[in-house]
Amino acid sequence: MSSSPKTVADLRQLLAARFPQRSRAPVGAVPTEIRALDEALGGGLPSGRFTEIVSASPGTGGQTIIAQLLRATRRARQRIALIDGADGFAPEAVPVDHLRHLVWVRGRHVSDAFTAADILLRDGNYAVVVLDVRGLSERALLKTPTTTWHRLRHATESGAVAVLVLSTSAVVPAVPWRLVLRETVPLESRRIPRAAIADDLVIEIDRGHVEREERSA
Amino acid sequence: MNYAVVLAPKFALQALRRSDAALANKPFAIVEGEGCNAHIAAASEHAVGIETGLAVTLAMARCPGLVIRPRDPDAEGEVTRMLLAAAFTLAPRVELTADGCCTVNLQGADDAQTEAQMHACVAELARGGVGARIGAGATPLLAAYAARRADSVLVVHDARAFLSPLPIHFAEPTPVQQEVLRGWGVKTLGELTALPKTEIGQRLGTDGVQLWERAAGESQRVLHLIEPVRTFAAEWTYEPPVESMEPLLFRMRRFAERVALELRGAGRVAEKLALTLLLEDESDHHREFRLPEPGANVDGWMRVLQAHLDTVKTDERVTGVRLVATPARPPERQDGLFDTALRDPVAFWENLARLAAIVGDDRVGTPVLLDTWRPDAVALEKPAEAVSAPEDDLVHPPRGLTLRRFRPPWPARVGLVDARPTSVESDELHDNVRVARGPFHLSGTWWKSGGAWAVEIWHVELGSGATYQLTRTETGWSVEGVLD
Repeated sequence: MSSSPKTVADLRQLLAARFPQRSRAPVGAVPTEIRALDEALGGGLPSGRFTEIVSASPGTGGQTIIAQLLRATRRARQRIALIDGADGFAPEAVPVDHLRHLVWVRGRHVSDAFTAADILLRDGNYAVVVLDVRGLSERALLKTPTTTWHRLRHATESGAVAVLVLSTSAVVPAVPWRLVLRETVPLESRRIPRAAIADDLVIEIDRGHVEREERSA
Repeated sequence: MNYAVVLAPKFALQALRRSDAALANKPFAIVEGEGCNAHIAAASEHAVGIETGLAVTLAMARCPGLVIRPRDPDAEGEVTRMLLAAAFTLAPRVELTADGCCTVNLQGADDAQTEAQMHACVAELARGGVGARIGAGATPLLAAYAARRADSVLVVHDARAFLSPLPIHFAEPTPVQQEVLRGWGVKTLGELTALPKTEIGQRLGTDGVQLWERAAGESQRVLHLIEPVRTFAAEWTYEPPVESMEPLLFRMRRFAERVALELRGAGRVAEKLALTLLLEDESDHHREFRLPEPGANVDGWMRVLQAHLDTVKTDERVTGVRLVATPARPPERQDGLFDTALRDPVAFWENLARLAAIVGDDRVGTPVLLDTWRPDAVALEKPAEAVSAPEDDLVHPPRGLTLRRFRPPWPARVGLVDARPTSVESDELHDNVRVARGPFHLSGTWWKSGGAWAVEIWHVELGSGATYQLTRTETGWSVEGVLD
């Protein structure tokens, strides 16, 4: 009989060997063309996985990440869906050409956002689905049953869509990647190109997953 | 083949079963007559031991659990419309020959293509809950015989070989003729047509000649053609009224199937659906759905309708439903070489329609900026199925952080020193201004009476470090968003 695993990594290897269908590795990544983010995630948003970015306070660059992601996916000729939970997206803040591949869902309630996510994650036509829950009632979000998140995660893992959740506090349970934006960007940056601001965002890894090694392998 | 007959056997029974989910897999029968004359007119295959003409009381004694129903003209009308719609997909010259039977003039049609279309037609009707058979032959009568004999589709190429083994009752002899033929030992159509036609005429008269011609499948006639439908709608009532979704959706699907088939028969698709729920207090709930991708796919329609109905709550019970499809030509397009196409267009459009049913038609789509400088002037358009290649990078790329709007803006009180903001107070925000940039003035449509607008915009960095966008209009100050 083999010896019991001593570390979490050993345990993951053991589980992967015994249940290969359960440990499906990400099928690729969608580069965001944001240096800080791509470096943190090891190449971009992992496809078939959730990534959560927590904006600890307003003005930390969450919306700029969406704008840059629109640019990157447009250049890569991919489709993107934005589930805008609190209806905060401002199209006029983005170049017109970066909107042509976007499907914008303007939500009103927490339930709208989750229902829309459930539909879009199974669609198969999008490379990225952004679920922006900032501005929604934090209490309602935290009361969202774990089964709802599990259902969404299952839908994601059975496809190839990269899911980015933008929140103001950690809301996604057992998320493979959780990154935190803490530093506000000052008004003086208004003359700096947006791409440069995005590259210099201070991104902390709150939760990173061993899949990074699997992907590079 | 010149003619085809679309036949729904046991028409009245099928119509009843199709309209009432409770009859599925149950023994049921149709009753005719009243009082002591009430008798069974037709019985379903589950009604074991029940024969046509049996007294109702006897039938109920023989088959416990037997459901007795009268004929349902509305349900039969729906099945007739289904059959006609299916027939119109074969050719435009259609006759409603009898209950559950349509004859189609196929002259000039391509045989191979038409036969494939007949199979598609039977499958389509089966999906709509109508078991049908199609027969085709050189005359309407031959096609009718073929339809009665077919399992699914039967095309008669050799009339003599097909007719010979058919029993004599196919030619519908009178009881007297039947008796005479039995005496002669004639049991099949082949045996009758083997006898000389003139000899039959001498012994059985002109009726005998007509019988011989029917047995030979030679009887020709002119079809009484009907016009295809021009309106694509269905309306039905519930007695008693319904409270739950299941019976609503069951019948809605049935009617949607018929409307979709009629659209396809007319070479059209639906671009819009209008649903009206008629309520018990004589009010109604009306909603129109613009289909992002015009189509005649019932599953897609039902997903849109169900997604909406899931969100509807009425105080009164539903007494009836009206469904109207607005017809349009099927979309045609030519994609560019470098366009980004969809992997699964059907799923894409269906899912958009479902989303629109949940959040509203005007809240899902691709954003398009309106031709004005007015803040937040944006519309949502139907997304492009093929997205054109990206343009070159802008010569002047965007600078600074990206605006995130608060909709509606937060009303605020702004402290001013030398006409510059120094503090902001609102229900959500209370802070001093560290740095302020502005004002940026925008105005427009001042040349239109009553349409003028003007706004003063400030970007203010507050003590927390975050930068907000303030606006001042004639109604006062508000926090319009955060630069994020």
